[in-house]
Amino acid sequence: MRRVVGDTVIASVTAVALCSGVWLLHGGAGTQAPPQPSAAEARPGGADPRSAPALPPSPPDRVRIPSIRVDAPLMGLGLTTSGSLDVPPAAKKNLAGWYESGTTPGETGTAIVAGHVDNAEGPAVFYDLGAVRRGATIEVDRRDGGVAVFTVDAVEVYDARDFPDEKVYGAAARPELRVITCGGEYSRATGYRGNVVVFAHLTGSR
Amino acid sequence: MRRTAARLLTGTALAVVTAAGFAAPVQAAVARSGSLDVYPSTAVPGGQVTVNTAACGDPGAAAGDASAVGAGPFTLAPSSHDGKAIGQFRVPPSAQPGTYEIVAQCAADGRRVAGDLVVVLTSSREQVYPRGSVKTGVGGALGPDPVQTAAGVTALAVAAAGGTWLLHRRARGDGI
Repeated sequence: MRRVVGDTVIASVTAVALCSGVWLLHGGAGTQAPPQPSAAEARPGGADPRSAPALPPSPPDRVRIPSIRVDAPLMGLGLTTSGSLDVPPAAKKNLAGWYESGTTPGETGTAIVAGHVDNAEGPAVFYDLGAVRRGATIEVDRRDGGVAVFTVDAVEVYDARDFPDEKVYGAAARPELRVITCGGEYSRATGYRGNVVVFAHLTGSR
Repeated sequence: MRRTAARLLTGTALAVVTAAGFAAPVQAAVARSGSLDVYPSTAVPGGQVTVNTAACGDPGAAAGDASAVGAGPFTLAPSSHDGKAIGQFRVPPSAQPGTYEIVAQCAADGRRVAGDLVVVLTSSREQVYPRGSVKTGVGGALGPDPVQTAAGVTALAVAAAGGTWLLHRRARGDGI
């Protein structure tokens, strides 16, 4: 009798292990593409809402996006030989960067932050950037000890072949922030088709 | 009387500044180079400059001196994060182009740190904007997750062991 019970347990464990093993190796739930913004997060028309007073220039140290649990150090980024924004080393998955020849976050103008959506091992710092919603908060720790607080105006996806440079990187009359990562369709041959870009403006500081 | 006192004070202040000015080249040799970060390192007259240093300990305050560029003394207060001392000053609108040494002296141990500020007349922060898209992904999130793969292999190994054992029992005729 005890042996029959033992056999039944072993048979059940075997069956469960077989099914879950096949499911896990077949892909399971972990191979989804990174989230992409819906059309509802696109830039609304009309006048830009008012911003908080600009802060003096001070380089940033950290970026936080609480709604997608991002809290990452920032490194300085330059340009590549082709004039595109350079990126942090891909191996460091929780590292983002800022364009250090440009505007510092909180200062009047367009500050630019970029980070990887994934690397060879899996998701990276801005994997969930496409899930940011309008009105979300982005905080930047500055070297002067202050924190610049930005509010998201829009989240867009742009194709690399038709990238709106002026809209993303161009000058602004108030303190603005862009947070950029890879996005759009992915193909094994060409990688991600473009970028997810979060547009935000300064709404406070502390 | 009051005027005399004020004059006396001014005189003392001038003497201190002058003494500091003469002492500076000597002390500069022992100052740790680059230990005072000046940002932006190139500024225009009227521009605001932030300096910080980690050389004064945690938390460390310091007395800053930007009189080389004509901005006078300023205070570096301990920062709320990462234990640096941070201060700001404004480049006087009348400042001439050139390279100026900005110094700070730690309040605790008197250590002196210095950094260079370059003043230019037209903004060299005339921005070069990046162009085009950014290469920030390789699709690694889309492939199989190594942890998940390992879990799957382990589960299949368990299933194989269980199956083998059951088949073995049946072959021996013990029945299931």
